[in-house]
Amino acid sequence: MHRRRFWRISVLVAVAALLLAACGSNKGEGSSTGTTTAKTNTVKIGVIAPLSGSLSALGQGIKNSVDLAIKQANDKNKVKGWKIELAAEDDTAKADVGAQVASKLESDTAVAGVVGTLNSSVALQVQPILARANVVMVSPANTGIELTQGTDPANKKRPYPNYFRVATTDAIQGPFAANYASKDLNAKNVVTIHDKKTYGQGLVAEFTKQLVKNGGKVVAAETINPGDQDFSAVLTKIKPLNADLIYYGGEYPEAQLLTSQAKAQGIKAPLMGGDGIFDKTYIQTAKEASEGDLCTSVGAPTDELASASDFVAAYKAAGYKDDFSAYGAYSYDAANVIIDALAKVLSGKAALTPALKQDIITAVQGTKLDGVTGKLGFDEFGDTTTKVLTVYKVTQQEWKAVKTDEFK
Amino acid sequence: MKRALRPLGLAGAVAAVVGCLTPWATFFFGYPGKVTLSGFPGGARLYPLILAVAAGVLLLVDVHGRRRSGLMAALGGLAIAGYNAVAIAKDGGGLGAVAFGAWLTLAGTALLAAAHSFGKEESAIAHSRFPNVKAPAPVELLIIAGSLAALLYVVVLSLKIEESTRFVSFVAFLGFAASALQRVDAFEWLQSVFDRHRQVTLGAAAIAAIAFPFTQAGSSYWLRVFASIGVFAAAAIGLNIVVGLAGLLDLGYIAFFGVGAYTGALLGSAARTTYDTHWPFLLVVLIGATVAAVFGVVIGAPTLRLRGDYLAIVTLGFGEIFRISAFNLDWLTRGPNGIAGVPDLGLGQFNFGETHQVFGVTLPGFANYYFVELVLLAAVILMFTRLNDSRIGRAWVAIREDETAAAAMGINTVRMKLLAFAMGAFIAGAAGTVNAHVAASAAPDSFTFLESILLLAAVVLGGMGTVPGALLGSAALFVLPEKLRAFQDKRLLLFGLALILMMRFRPEGIVPSRRRQRELHDEDGADAMGTVAAP
Amino acid sequence: MTQFLQQMVNGIVLGATYGLIALGYTMVYGIIQLINFAHGEIFMVGAFAGLFTFARLPTALQTRPLLALPLVIVSAVVVSVTTSLLVERLAYRPLRRASRLAPLITAIGVSIALQELVRLFYPLPDGRLGAKSPVSFPRLVNGPPVDLGGVTIARVSLFVVAVAIVLMLGLQAFVRTTRTGKAMRATAQDPDTAKLMGIDTDKIIVITFAIGAALAGIAGVMQGMRFVQIDFRIGFIAGLKAFTAAVLGGIGNITGAVLGGFVLGIVEVMATQYVPKGSQWKDVWAFVVLIAVLVFRPSGLLGERVATRA
Repeated sequence: MHRRRFWRISVLVAVAALLLAACGSNKGEGSSTGTTTAKTNTVKIGVIAPLSGSLSALGQGIKNSVDLAIKQANDKNKVKGWKIELAAEDDTAKADVGAQVASKLESDTAVAGVVGTLNSSVALQVQPILARANVVMVSPANTGIELTQGTDPANKKRPYPNYFRVATTDAIQGPFAANYASKDLNAKNVVTIHDKKTYGQGLVAEFTKQLVKNGGKVVAAETINPGDQDFSAVLTKIKPLNADLIYYGGEYPEAQLLTSQAKAQGIKAPLMGGDGIFDKTYIQTAKEASEGDLCTSVGAPTDELASASDFVAAYKAAGYKDDFSAYGAYSYDAANVIIDALAKVLSGKAALTPALKQDIITAVQGTKLDGVTGKLGFDEFGDTTTKVLTVYKVTQQEWKAVKTDEFK
Repeated sequence: MKRALRPLGLAGAVAAVVGCLTPWATFFFGYPGKVTLSGFPGGARLYPLILAVAAGVLLLVDVHGRRRSGLMAALGGLAIAGYNAVAIAKDGGGLGAVAFGAWLTLAGTALLAAAHSFGKEESAIAHSRFPNVKAPAPVELLIIAGSLAALLYVVVLSLKIEESTRFVSFVAFLGFAASALQRVDAFEWLQSVFDRHRQVTLGAAAIAAIAFPFTQAGSSYWLRVFASIGVFAAAAIGLNIVVGLAGLLDLGYIAFFGVGAYTGALLGSAARTTYDTHWPFLLVVLIGATVAAVFGVVIGAPTLRLRGDYLAIVTLGFGEIFRISAFNLDWLTRGPNGIAGVPDLGLGQFNFGETHQVFGVTLPGFANYYFVELVLLAAVILMFTRLNDSRIGRAWVAIREDETAAAAMGINTVRMKLLAFAMGAFIAGAAGTVNAHVAASAAPDSFTFLESILLLAAVVLGGMGTVPGALLGSAALFVLPEKLRAFQDKRLLLFGLALILMMRFRPEGIVPSRRRQRELHDEDGADAMGTVAAP
Repeated sequence: MTQFLQQMVNGIVLGATYGLIALGYTMVYGIIQLINFAHGEIFMVGAFAGLFTFARLPTALQTRPLLALPLVIVSAVVVSVTTSLLVERLAYRPLRRASRLAPLITAIGVSIALQELVRLFYPLPDGRLGAKSPVSFPRLVNGPPVDLGGVTIARVSLFVVAVAIVLMLGLQAFVRTTRTGKAMRATAQDPDTAKLMGIDTDKIIVITFAIGAALAGIAGVMQGMRFVQIDFRIGFIAGLKAFTAAVLGGIGNITGAVLGGFVLGIVEVMATQYVPKGSQWKDVWAFVVLIAVLVFRPSGLLGERVATRA
């Protein structure tokens, strides 16, 4: 076959194929969509969180809490003339999947804001994609410092103006814990352990810096694997060091085992952790071994805030299958921050234009709200202005607030 | 008695068609596809309609294998109608929600199935076999265009369908339609048509793939999905060399992909990295692939002496060692944070991340990655097919079949196995380097054991040792979880069950290797394709 | 020195669980050359079954560990064996004549499916479905730790080690002396010839799966008692380590499996103690030992046969 003829035929065949496929797919499209007969406009709030896999309990809690905020806003008609819809995407806690669903939300012009992500590592990928389309992003859970302040701690620079978070960073929680350890507990020799995840490692790094500044000493820095159950080797190693405190960066499933095995080996030092271990399961599992253990958590104790119990009651009443879990309240707040901005910018407008998306970001920057986790507002980096933290201690098998203070 | 079957079946076909044109739900409650309206087959109703018509036609036309084929089509219609009826009843709050049309379709397809299963024995006349039919060249070219169109249409539609019930119906339709076609040897026939016009088929497929982003279907999101599938498929083809050709079971293959990804991220001037380097992309790809290949040799040299499952467990161990190292070597890999902010590719003044105007069409940024993927895939496929057809490929297959015999025939088995390992690692490294730019990051969470399993599953589900198999397998594994959103929490469960069922009922994969088949068809293909197939 | 001894004890206790699970791997592999990736999940299912029974016992029994423990173990064994036999019958047996890869992929599929089934549908003691986060497990063997000159051993740990050794010896005796044991050895050596000799190989394979699953079920309960919490993910990591232990000891060899478990446990523990940054790298050391053993002694520590089956 001659070369020219071959190409001509190939092109013809390809064009025929494309045309056929185009006709077919358009017809398919025509019968499946186009049912929007509603008179009100629709705006979407996206959620990017792990909805499947081992972190799905947290992700489902985030999704449901945002859903609750949206339902309440629609019932009260907060954004006049607009109906808010939820567009939940599953990032499976992986960075590349997160990037993929982010570009899905980005290419949907009706999406005005996104609540997410759970993991800082995923947020790093999602940020630039949403920034391209001026979609505001409010994270309920990211603690990584560089998300708002860039990689260079000496020269802070906000990488993306569309990114905000209602969670506090490691840079606040870690040092706050260190100050409590050296000033209130008089702890000189501290053992740090973390689980090699972004959250735990960051927390321990910031804790260590402040502790050394306060004149304390880290006598051993150990790590464990998330998912491990037997920590006796690490504990045997640190036992002769007679530390005053064990500071753990990580989450409660490992922390509760760590503390029970430590006490069983005869280690007297209490264990201290971040909000990752602030869960009643910790006490239920570790029982007496948890007595005297400490943790820090963001905001004033929740039972002092009336709005928090309203949220808990509304969540229960809505009948979701999963718990709102650790980040439910923050997600609810994050969604309300976006809804509040939408109410300011979109009310009475006919369409969501790219320029209005910029206005939404500006409106979020100027947020002043009373949320269920405390006062909501953002500084010039997009970090929450709330720097109130509370230290809790296990006293008679219950988390009791022992100190609430503002971090300076 | 048997005489009555054909009219009965035809009546069933008519009933099913009418049923598909009438409402399936008694009232409107948001069930997708406008199932309360009549006069057109909206939503999932289209699929039983097509299957019923096909089953009806098969009652009348005498083709080899028509009975089993018709039965498959009728059962497909029955299953889809049944599934939708159950879903409608569940969503609409009771059987009252299911309208007459659905019942009619169920009854009609059931009749059809009965007619086929008790029907006349199929004709054994040779000429009524599909593969023996030869059409004039223009008609065959049209058929090629048609099947390419069907493929594109399926791809586009499977991305477009949003509702889960409809998507499940669609996948069921594809499955039943494919097995019905298989039973009248339609695929064998299509294959022979393709073989007669092999160059045109390949050329047209390439052109269609290149033109795809210019069609309406090419939105930013889909192109991103395609680009990711491309990376995944390239890696799967690399694994296919190791597992499919040489028969070496590698359970830690994702590590090589990871080595490439980290190399790409480290050398590709990422924003959040440990070293600031700015090397040209093409060089980085080569370096990434080479580094991965070196790793392959280093790992392979001491372990390839081991056979079978021992090798599997050792590669699994190396995969874990890689992941743990990526976690712990903070000075190089930034530990659990990973290296993020890998910039868009650039060639001269051309930035791959931005939108571009080409021939008056605005292409989103990801179109460029899509093209990069096409080039990568083309290179990998070329490499795979050339290797497969070469002396080396035959040596690998010989080792796979019987290592002792291969060694006795004078094949240096350790060297050949090492080569397979290195080639596989090389391809994975190249794919990983590109992926660092597509995903804009390299993080240890992306290189877990489950990822190795996913790649292996793509190879095995698609069909070991074949290129279309690896492509199809990766596409299916990528798109299916994306679409089954209604089952979001049960996705992994479905994946596990799918693996079990697939191995139970079709262990050779969707597209089984045609090594022997092609040998038989070599004379047919040779005249039309000139030099391509010649080694 | 005390610290060294203490770490030795830690390693032995850790290795005992690996060894118990490894027995199932080694037996199944020895007979049908299948890496039963789902075996780790059988262990996990056993733990959850034990908890299921315990949570539904009357309080009078719950507070009497010596009465509750046998019931918990029996239920774990029953459920583990049932699950394992179902898997064997439905998933593996139809593939016995298929290529080597098919059963392996199936095993991975079974492993994923079992994990997800427990995660989504396990009936929790409080009536909810799905064990999405770790669940508490009763300790059952209580009392203060035993102190041997500065080296402390929890009572549960003593119990775990004792059970592992007793079971291993029992299994060894069973395989060496009984008729069934002889049939098992014959099937492992050459299934076709064994069949010709009148051995019902299908039955032997079922028995092998059952014994492996029973041991895994017991190991599951032990694991739960030691750590007072279980999680749907425990099977995967434990299974991986146990398989490593089985290969280390020489696959198909019963004493080897337990020895491999102990070696692996001790290596992990000693790496944590004596290698700088050891706790980060302990799993790496475990795999390095495995690779070294395989490269220099491919049949494992105690394996007699050189692995020639590809």
